[in-house]
Amino acid sequence: MKPTNLLFLACVAVFLATHTQAATITGLAKFEGEKPNLKEIKMDADPICSTHHSGPVYPQTIVLGENGELGNIFVRVIAGLPKTEYPAPQTEVVIDQKGCMYDPHVAGAMVGQTVKILNPDGTLHNVHALPKVNEEFNLAMPKFRTEVTKVFDKVEFMFPLKCDVHPWMGAWIAIMDNPYFATTGADGKFTLNDLPAGEYELEAWHEKLGTQTAKVTLAEGESKEVNFSFSKPSK
Amino acid sequence: MSQQGHAHHDPHELPFWKKYVFSTDHKVIGIQYGFTGLFFLFFGFCLVMLMRWQLAYPEQPVPVIGKFFNDSSMPGGVMLPEFYNSLGAMHGTIMVFLGIVPVAFGAFVNFVLPLQVGAPDMAFPRLNMASYWLLVVGGIVMLVSFFVPGGAANSGWTSYAPLAVVATTGQTYWLIGMAFLIQSSLLGAINVIATTFQLRAKGLTFMRLPFFVWSQLVTAFLLVLAFPPLLAAAVLQLMDRIAHTSFFMPSGLLVSGQPLEISGGGSVLLWQHLFWFLAHPEVYVLILPAMGIVAEVIANNIRKPLWGYKAMVYSVVFIGFMSFIVWAHHMYLTGMGTAISAFFQATTMIISIPSVIILTALFISLWGGSIRFNTQMLFALAFLPMFGIGGLTGLPLGLSSPDIYLHDTYYVIGHFHYVVAPGTIFALFAGVYHWFPKATGRKMNEFLGQLHFWPSLVFMNGIFFPMMIQGLAGVQRRLYDGGAQYAHAKDYLDLNVMMSWSAWLLAIAQIPFIINFIGSLFAGKKVDSDNPWEATTLEWQTPTPPGHGNFLTQPIVYRGPYEYSVPGASKDFTSQNEPPAGASQPAGTSQGVH
Repeated sequence: MKPTNLLFLACVAVFLATHTQAATITGLAKFEGEKPNLKEIKMDADPICSTHHSGPVYPQTIVLGENGELGNIFVRVIAGLPKTEYPAPQTEVVIDQKGCMYDPHVAGAMVGQTVKILNPDGTLHNVHALPKVNEEFNLAMPKFRTEVTKVFDKVEFMFPLKCDVHPWMGAWIAIMDNPYFATTGADGKFTLNDLPAGEYELEAWHEKLGTQTAKVTLAEGESKEVNFSFSKPSK
Repeated sequence: MSQQGHAHHDPHELPFWKKYVFSTDHKVIGIQYGFTGLFFLFFGFCLVMLMRWQLAYPEQPVPVIGKFFNDSSMPGGVMLPEFYNSLGAMHGTIMVFLGIVPVAFGAFVNFVLPLQVGAPDMAFPRLNMASYWLLVVGGIVMLVSFFVPGGAANSGWTSYAPLAVVATTGQTYWLIGMAFLIQSSLLGAINVIATTFQLRAKGLTFMRLPFFVWSQLVTAFLLVLAFPPLLAAAVLQLMDRIAHTSFFMPSGLLVSGQPLEISGGGSVLLWQHLFWFLAHPEVYVLILPAMGIVAEVIANNIRKPLWGYKAMVYSVVFIGFMSFIVWAHHMYLTGMGTAISAFFQATTMIISIPSVIILTALFISLWGGSIRFNTQMLFALAFLPMFGIGGLTGLPLGLSSPDIYLHDTYYVIGHFHYVVAPGTIFALFAGVYHWFPKATGRKMNEFLGQLHFWPSLVFMNGIFFPMMIQGLAGVQRRLYDGGAQYAHAKDYLDLNVMMSWSAWLLAIAQIPFIINFIGSLFAGKKVDSDNPWEATTLEWQTPTPPGHGNFLTQPIVYRGPYEYSVPGASKDFTSQNEPPAGASQPAGTSQGVH
């Protein structure tokens, strides 16, 4: 083969290797069935908490849109990812406690990624993380301690974060070894970007409603939609 | 005349490290205990100085020294609640187990008791040395714990389960440190008992023992009998923490709403029972030596016998016995049942009676006395009303109904600090001023002594009396911001500022003592007699300072401990070893040196 042809083929190979189009999964989580009645949170014990809210506040356990869109569903890839080490992003995962409610209520971070917990409330919070694999921490956050940062060094799927001062405050956090995860917003939607082509198994997790799984095959640059449907577990 | 120099002619001169470091001489060990205990008292006091800033000015940076702390304790100089918790737990632990016990029991009992009973040393000198060095190891473990991840123990000095079992690493160090401290006290206590029973001078019957010896003997029995359960409890809690046993961990325990992965089946109340089975007698371990010191100082400075000596002795023995059956008055809030509460209320009321007898006897002793108002006497006199306030404010806590309201409030803090701070610590100061000349051959300065006493008296009350007011208003203890988060405490927050300034001024008031203590070691006025206070007990019949073996000749005791102003006597004090008029001095016995 002529050297010029060889060079051409090499250029094509490099182009293909560097310009492989990433695939995307989008989706919607919905709740089927009768909308559960949620009890209003009584924040009277700490008047500072209630001043942050103009109306009634409900638990973040089940967040529903008008048409049953379901928030706080954590979606992740549980099979099919290439065996490789994914670097932790430089960006921070921020968990706010504004108005004595955790925002987001369900979060994910990668091993080694900084998790920043904020307290803008001007009152005492006490963040108590209860992991089983990572190191537990139990930190008081008086009003002057407006943020703390933590880094988790082991993979651990879902452990609770509680405020020991305000019993209604709870959140969940997953420590992942890959960046392919997302939490549905109040509109029930999620997006997993930049996936390589392949066959994947997805899992959607909810703290009360359990888990759903789905399989999906993605070609390069393909975008597919995967929806999940949750309902109240039968007793 | 003084018999100084006796110590310098010992033909068996020991190398420095054996004479002053790994010494088996009870006096050196006593002084070692004294310096170590004073260091830890100072350290524990420094911890509370920081806490008082946080209570008076919560969430404001600690001036000057705040910047020397790292971000895990004081980011930007502002104290974190976790660090406050550590300071609180370690202040209590250090003051009780590393400060007051080593000084009140370790130092004074070691230095004074063998001399007062006419013994050449403690019964087991090597055990004595081991006792001191176990204390040092325990102290080091406690100090090191400040530097482990999560800081020192932060579950209160009581280390209640299950909180302490799930606490940070510092708690493990606390338990290990306590094991050493307990062993230290046990060895010391055994030594005191053996020395008092076996090494008393000829003629020194039990009813001729100075009240100080009686109080320390009872204290030793309390330590021997009460500490082993705490040692067992500490080991069990250690197992719960590191070996995942569940001695104190109940089944179905939730922490922050999450079930713990433990075998369960344990009892949290078991820890409280074991802890308070030691810790209530421990209160008497703190106070009985103080009563003993005060009795000696008062007897010497009123120049007349103590009123009701026998009643005092019977009372101190009765306190010792009763102190083992009052522990659960710390636990009314646990809901242990009305029948058991009734029992412990009754015993608690009963144990107050002998304390009142001792205090009353000391008060009555003052009547008609020719009182010398020197520094040690001022501290001893101040002890009486201060301990009185501490004791009387304890009565409502001994009754279940008021205790349910007052439990865990500042009232409790005020109550027990009146007992141990202007109570015991004042007595310790009295003891230091009183026996300093015997240990060093020099007197402490009287002006600096008074400069130490009067501000200390004022500021002690400035700290602890407002606590009673706060406590009655329901302000809880262990709040890192002094109650600023609570509406019911808001009207009482100003008292925090007053108390904190009193605490800092109290610290300043200790400067004359430090100057006096160190200065007098080197430049204090030399005593011109082995018995500069003209006292009656045997420790004043030794050379000054006493050499190895203490007495030049073995003393024989002919009389009780407080024969002051005996009618017909040529002087106003008669030493215990002074033979009755007309009796011949047996060969080979010492004669009082006046």
